[in-house]
Amino acid sequence: MAAARTLLIGYGNTLRGDDALGPMAVEQMRAALPYLEFVSCHQLGPELAGQMAAFDCVVFLDASSAGEPGTVQLQRLQAGVTPAGSFTHHMHPAVLLELAQTLYGRAPKAMLATGVGASFESGEGLSEAAQRALDEICRVVPRLLQSPDLW
Amino acid sequence: MPTITIDPITRIEGHSKVTIQLDDQGDVQSARFHVTQVRGFEKLCEGRPFTEMPALMARICGICPTSHLLASSKACDDIMAVHIPETAEKLRRIMNLAQITQSHALSFFYLSAPDFLLGMDSDPEERNILGVVRKFPQMARDGIKLRQFGQRVLETLGGKRVHPGWIVPGGVSHPLQAEQRDAILAEIPEAIRITRSALRWFKGQIESFRAEVRAFANFPTMFLAMANDTNEFSAYNGWLRFIDANLNIVADHITGTDYMNYIGESCNDDSYLKTTYFKPLGPQDGIYRVGPLARLNMCQSAGTPQADEELAEFRELERHSVLSSFYYHYARLIEILFSIERMQTLLNDPEILGKNVRAHASPNNFEGVGILEAPRGTLIHHYRIDQNGLIETANMVIATGHNNLAINRGVLQVARQFVKGKKLEQGMLNRVEAVIRAFDPCLSCSTHAAGEMPLDIQLLSVDGEIVDRVRR
Repeated sequence: MAAARTLLIGYGNTLRGDDALGPMAVEQMRAALPYLEFVSCHQLGPELAGQMAAFDCVVFLDASSAGEPGTVQLQRLQAGVTPAGSFTHHMHPAVLLELAQTLYGRAPKAMLATGVGASFESGEGLSEAAQRALDEICRVVPRLLQSPDLW
Repeated sequence: MPTITIDPITRIEGHSKVTIQLDDQGDVQSARFHVTQVRGFEKLCEGRPFTEMPALMARICGICPTSHLLASSKACDDIMAVHIPETAEKLRRIMNLAQITQSHALSFFYLSAPDFLLGMDSDPEERNILGVVRKFPQMARDGIKLRQFGQRVLETLGGKRVHPGWIVPGGVSHPLQAEQRDAILAEIPEAIRITRSALRWFKGQIESFRAEVRAFANFPTMFLAMANDTNEFSAYNGWLRFIDANLNIVADHITGTDYMNYIGESCNDDSYLKTTYFKPLGPQDGIYRVGPLARLNMCQSAGTPQADEELAEFRELERHSVLSSFYYHYARLIEILFSIERMQTLLNDPEILGKNVRAHASPNNFEGVGILEAPRGTLIHHYRIDQNGLIETANMVIATGHNNLAINRGVLQVARQFVKGKKLEQGMLNRVEAVIRAFDPCLSCSTHAAGEMPLDIQLLSVDGEIVDRVRR
């Protein structure tokens, strides 16, 4: 699994407190895992589908306000298993997998790592809880990439 | 009196709702478009150094940061009283054209194509980009590729695709490199192919949307856009001109602070979106439209060969100006074609690699106005500074504000045409939303916030009881 082509996509608004967790995770792991590919963006868009199709594995890194602040949730994603609802500003990563499969003939294995934050107000910097979640994501995700049985 | 509330509106940029008042017979009496996000940027920038304004203003929106960056930098150029180097102006024009391309591609392929391809009455669970991908994958691939092209140009020139910082007061921060130019030029033939293909397809579909053409904000209004001596399409240089529905010039050569003599702004009790109007006629009669439809009605030629061919065909839709706002979509595709062709011309100009790209100066005026054509229409940034170069007041007139009167009147026209009785149907309500989408309003820009957009529509009786409700 370690040799698999892997893409990490961190997304969120860096000016909305803990929503920056995804992009900050990318910045932190980029230095530690130089052999991986990274994308940092405000939000997911259909343009990512083509890029994703060229990889074996994709890990999405996001922040959430749902759950116990400071905790991390991992979720397997699958093309074709998409949440109900139309495309708006918020595109679920599973929708991107389906786009990759349908439009480019290939969907990578995918996992969503979500850190639960405590404050999403305007401003820069993570809350203490989000920092804990960030640290945990940066510890867990590299292990995840070396453990194909977890996927 | 029964009320239908569509809250929020889906597949637009921002957060809004529509209320429709019915009489006791179930006929539409009135309809209103409300923007439910608060506006704040004009106030929060007070006291900041004027040189910070372009970077600050670009944060208004994640869709149109480049447009605000450009208008703001032009206002700062005016404060410094500089003529920016010719190469810098050409590079800024390329940025503006790339912004028009990516924004129009998003509007057409991502937000509105589900209505065109799957039908106004189709299941709302399918009527989205995923539905398009499943049933029309080639069209979806093309749409993604075209938007990517625009974004890549922004990223190549500006360093990043969202909130690029390359455009600065006095010009741009650094010159274009030959390999960057060549990379963009290499993608242009495919971008043109996609655009022409979409145009062919859309023109073939218009007959299927006759009812929408008739009812989608289809009425005489004035139009506002930038103009120039050659009467060619203008998105960066020139002055403001108002024309009427018969293409007669109403007001012309409007520059700088003179806009305040022609454009009035008013606030509304039920919406955070300001309403602008043609001041000499007042807020009741001063309705006008901006954006792709206005620009194509305004210009006599596009100035590029393929766009001119398409423009000639577009003009055959009506004897005078094209009035139906459904044709905003058509106009958007023609503008994409123009933008790509013009980018190609500018990039092939040897001067585009020139090294002199920035003029430096201290403030020489206490006031500056920057005007350009953003994807959705005329954008005005107007700043006043104090003796220390700090912002005293800022005013921004945004395309969606210019179109507010027309959007409201269009919502009423569509509601009267399609909303009947006391039982809600998805198709009728989707058309109310679709007329708003035709204008491609950007509420993040016009009120400077962002939101999410599920749909909850309630039909209320006179005493407030819910008699019908649709959610998605």
